[in-house]
Amino acid sequence: MRNRASLMVLVSALSSCAMAQEISTFSAYVDSDICARLMLGPITSDRVQCSQSTFKEGSQPVLVRLRNNTVLTVNKEKMIRPLVGQLAEVAGKLKINDGTVKLEAVKAITSESIPERDPGRKLLDVRMYQTDKSAQLHEKVRHELAMMPYISNFDFISFTQNGPNVILTGWTVRATNRDTAGRLVRDIDGVETVVNNIEILPLGSIDMQIRAAARLALQRYLSRYFWGNGSDIKIVVKRGQVILLGMVSTKADSDVAFIQCNGLPGVFKVFNLLRVQGSNKRGLVEAKKEG
Amino acid sequence: MTKNSFRSDRVAAACCVAGLLFVTTTSCSRPTAVSPSGLKRMPPGQEFAGFLSTYANLKPDPNLEDTKSYVCKDPAKNVHRYVAMIVDSPVVYASTSAPDSAIPERGVAALKEYFQDAITNAVDDAFPIIQSSGPLVLRLRSAIVGIDVGQPVPAGQTRGDMLERPLNIGKVGVEMELVDSETGEQIAAAVDRDNLGEGAVIGSASFTHEEKFRAATQAFDGWAARLRQFLDSAHELSEEDIEHVEQTNFPYASEDTPVR
Repeated sequence: MRNRASLMVLVSALSSCAMAQEISTFSAYVDSDICARLMLGPITSDRVQCSQSTFKEGSQPVLVRLRNNTVLTVNKEKMIRPLVGQLAEVAGKLKINDGTVKLEAVKAITSESIPERDPGRKLLDVRMYQTDKSAQLHEKVRHELAMMPYISNFDFISFTQNGPNVILTGWTVRATNRDTAGRLVRDIDGVETVVNNIEILPLGSIDMQIRAAARLALQRYLSRYFWGNGSDIKIVVKRGQVILLGMVSTKADSDVAFIQCNGLPGVFKVFNLLRVQGSNKRGLVEAKKEG
Repeated sequence: MTKNSFRSDRVAAACCVAGLLFVTTTSCSRPTAVSPSGLKRMPPGQEFAGFLSTYANLKPDPNLEDTKSYVCKDPAKNVHRYVAMIVDSPVVYASTSAPDSAIPERGVAALKEYFQDAITNAVDDAFPIIQSSGPLVLRLRSAIVGIDVGQPVPAGQTRGDMLERPLNIGKVGVEMELVDSETGEQIAAAVDRDNLGEGAVIGSASFTHEEKFRAATQAFDGWAARLRQFLDSAHELSEEDIEHVEQTNFPYASEDTPVR
């Protein structure tokens, strides 16, 4: 009997120990889903503005782990909502492969509170993202991603390369695209680390109807951007939100795309992030300034 | 899976299964009384089961031996247009002179269940599996074609969940098609006649759990793998696609993304 009791105490202690080990503490930037996946690199004032404005418009709050730019969705969004655009110290159970964290505690911090040599300072230092990039390696990464066969009009995959380190990001409707992209890039000679921030989108029936209707509408009015089995306009749909990405020739086309998608049943927000060819790099922040 | 490896598996499977054939010496002593639900019939010697919505488009597949296939090339309605899939329960076609009551229902159910799991596992990372039809959703219909029954197991010799009569799967082939889940229009189809050969049988309803029936599971896994191979080839980028993506900077590197 005593042996059994001792065993139970031991098991209990081991499980508490395991539970305790699962809790990680790390510094993060509290971002909006859209900016976290599109504004890769250091936390600048533009990025803070982007985070706050897109969050106000309905983009989901997420955490960006400072040490390696991993985007993490959280189980209790209300804990991080007040902190969007700020740095935070986070405690929680991390599941890196799923890109999730089960929050235990979050508190706002200042950049000064992160020690000088802490890996968490990486995203705070613009110089970290000013290293020369290898054009050859960059093209290899681009080519591998471009040749993936299961990319559809509803997937947007992007990457940033900082020396031998690659961050993959974007949204996809297929799990295989996330895994394949990570594997392909990891296998390229010269690539050392890959952070995979590609999010797998839900396939709810309303989102599926929005996808089909959006493609139909855009093909009808902007058919020149659709070719073969692909398109220059990418339609990312996530729980009723539509994010338009890619490239068009004129501002008028961009506006047409926005209007067409905004009028679709089931859509409650369209983020028009289409880039107009030939214009300066046009960001969401600039678009907001124009009102 | 290569043609050769599948073929060698197949030969090994045939030998292995043939060796495990239930020895039967007496006439039917315990025929199943219930006709297997959903079991269909095709006349012996017939090329097709009549399962596909149309066979008119099928042509020999250069990539898959003993297979005829069709893939819609129209960009407006080819497989690239779809992002998810419903996997229907397979239909089983018997090709035998034996009456329905002689075909063990438990064996047919085990076949269907195993094959559905195998094809689901083969495709679900490329086409997420969902339950309801709708836009952008394909329906995968499949049929196991040509099962027969062996001689009945003598009374008193059955044990465990051994079938009353073994199912002969030596001449079994597979027919499958992808249809639009809303309109039913055929988007792709394949008739795979790569079979195990004479002597391949299933004698137990739980054949997936018994090592001696590994050959049969390998055969079904092989067909599932060929389905995935077929889907991958149907999903390859066209020359136009390759030309276009090479001319653009897709996928956009971070400096090309709009929010910057």
